[in-house]
Amino acid sequence: MSAFHKMIATVKSALERAPRAVPAHAAAASPVVPVAHDARRTELLAQFARELEAVGGAFLGAFAPDDIRARTVALARQIGARTAAIGAGVTLDSDPIARALEQAGVAVIRPPSVRGAAGPDDAARAAYRERLAGCDLGIVEADAAIAATGTLAVVGAPDRPNSLTLLPPSNLIIIHADRMRPDLAAAVAGIGAETFIAKRVALITGPSRTADIEKMIVLGVHGPKKLYAIAIWPNEA
Amino acid sequence: MATPDAAPAPDFLETSRKGVADTDLRRKLENSTGRHLDHVAHMRGEFPRYDDERDAARRIKEDAIGRLDELLIILKQKLEANGCNVFVAADAAEARDYILQVAKKAGSQRVVKGKSMTTEEIDLNPALERAGMKVVETDLGEYIVQLRRERPSHIITPAIHLSKEDIGQLFAEQLGIPYSAEPEVLTAAARERLRSIFLGADLGITGVNFAIAETGSLVLIENEGNGRLTSTLPETFIAVMGIEKVIPQLTDLSHFLEILARTGTGQKLTTYTNFISGPRRDGELDGPRAMHVVILDNGRSAMLADPVMREALYCLRCGACLNVCPVYRRIGGHAYNSPYPGPIGSIVSPNLFGSAAAKLPFASTLCGACRDICPVKIDIPRILLHLRWKANVTEPPIKWSADARRARAGVRRFARMARYPRSFRLLSRLGGLMLRPLTRDGYLRRMPGPFKNWTRWGRDFPAPGARRKETRGETVNASATQRPE
Repeated sequence: MSAFHKMIATVKSALERAPRAVPAHAAAASPVVPVAHDARRTELLAQFARELEAVGGAFLGAFAPDDIRARTVALARQIGARTAAIGAGVTLDSDPIARALEQAGVAVIRPPSVRGAAGPDDAARAAYRERLAGCDLGIVEADAAIAATGTLAVVGAPDRPNSLTLLPPSNLIIIHADRMRPDLAAAVAGIGAETFIAKRVALITGPSRTADIEKMIVLGVHGPKKLYAIAIWPNEA
Repeated sequence: MATPDAAPAPDFLETSRKGVADTDLRRKLENSTGRHLDHVAHMRGEFPRYDDERDAARRIKEDAIGRLDELLIILKQKLEANGCNVFVAADAAEARDYILQVAKKAGSQRVVKGKSMTTEEIDLNPALERAGMKVVETDLGEYIVQLRRERPSHIITPAIHLSKEDIGQLFAEQLGIPYSAEPEVLTAAARERLRSIFLGADLGITGVNFAIAETGSLVLIENEGNGRLTSTLPETFIAVMGIEKVIPQLTDLSHFLEILARTGTGQKLTTYTNFISGPRRDGELDGPRAMHVVILDNGRSAMLADPVMREALYCLRCGACLNVCPVYRRIGGHAYNSPYPGPIGSIVSPNLFGSAAAKLPFASTLCGACRDICPVKIDIPRILLHLRWKANVTEPPIKWSADARRARAGVRRFARMARYPRSFRLLSRLGGLMLRPLTRDGYLRRMPGPFKNWTRWGRDFPAPGARRKETRGETVNASATQRPE
């Protein structure tokens, strides 16, 4: 064995005995790529918030998944909601939100159980619709959002009916920050043709509005008068 | 309204004269259209890609209309695969009959309608009402004109001819609320009234903005939410679309949406863009049990066959050309006696309603403002000229009033005279001599006889054969810029 090999072996065993020292600059969690990702996410969210407010909506901010509950309860208190209807989440489990609302004294309307081949019968559907029409706040998670226009794309499903964003006078729409798309084309492509075929999709840009009287803008004609959006900011893995 | 089988339509020359005389109407129109044009100018300034998107949208329409047969086959297949009943109607009567039959079979009594110009075109409401159904228009503007027993006077702002005071008066009388001219108060009153109607309705009918062949999806664009309610709450839903609404694929859509709201209402995107691909699916809590799609020809295939007319089928019905049109802004939408007024109405209506609308192409100064604002750059002035030519060579000839006949004969004589330089010079010298007592600085301040309307509003006329001190671009015509108001 040459001297060289001997030296390598010594160095190797030395390295194995003591843990590798980490250089100071490598200790920071995120190198270049994740930082850019965060910056992009922030930028899109900021643009979304600006555009949403420009069309009369309100952006409540971005929160960690666990903090969405508290902010939702705070909103319900703020607008004096006594009843709230909630649909199943997309990335988030809506049950904890519903329970938090109930603890705060808000009656929560959940979609009737849709298990079974036939789904809900006419009576169940009519009863649900009646309750929706009388409730104060509809809460639903969007599938995608468009930063350039302040738009939320809500995809209907049996446990996330369309009427949730239509009948209640106020709406809270939750959107995961990673589902923010820069523009319409990207959002439509992201949702995908299959979804458009199988489900109802509504792109929602602000509260319901009209300009039918002398071209003056009035909010809340047939749909919600108030539209709130809240973003989920994911915890870093 | 002018449908082929309706009573003879009122004459355009009469109705337009009425519109011109109505200075109150003009003030309202200037108010609203001006506000719209400000919004649009602002939006265009903020969107540098605007012109590129217009070109892209036009190219897609060109392609889609160019292979309409193929796309309609795909669309029908896909819609049916998604669970829709598709009916292809050759004309208005077939469409009405089918809708009536569906409504009767479903036992519908209370009908709610989203905004739809196509159902105005086929004159659907009277047919449903005759069959004993209660029909309520739910778009705020449409609701207002329906309460007044009127027709919409604008494609996207149906009550543009009314002031908020007019509407306040109307609601006080018809809805029994205290008089108010506050748009917020009036809107809230309509919301309350219409919400209960929505919840009790058993048939919903809307129009369609785009039909995507690739996915079999109908796209419905609106701001109020009444289109969503109409297509979601009632057990039966019928969508009515012209054959030209089909676009090839999903990815085409964004090009249209980027420009449609910007030109139509000065928004980046309308509040609601709804994708409807079929009736309620298993397990779903809302949506109609049955969905029908009526695809209407009614003269459109004839437009397709005419190479000049064809591009009129690219129209997205944004209504912007109405707002810029100097004629529309002065006579108002009702003067056109067609659900499609303004420049686009003047080229589309003669094809849909025949001789009843034959005079409309003549109601234009050919200024080109409509072409400039059009989101798909339809060359409306060119089509207007084409239709004027057609109106003069086809049977039956247009029935002009005595005044109009005299004017046309006069212009024809002048045209003959002007064709020969010698006769033209002779004529203008003769005319100049006769008019000399009225001429000052080479201009006539007041024209005699049948021409008096030219100078009535302070517009001078260059005297024939007279020498004028003027350089190009700088006229001595000072009074011409003064307008009475």
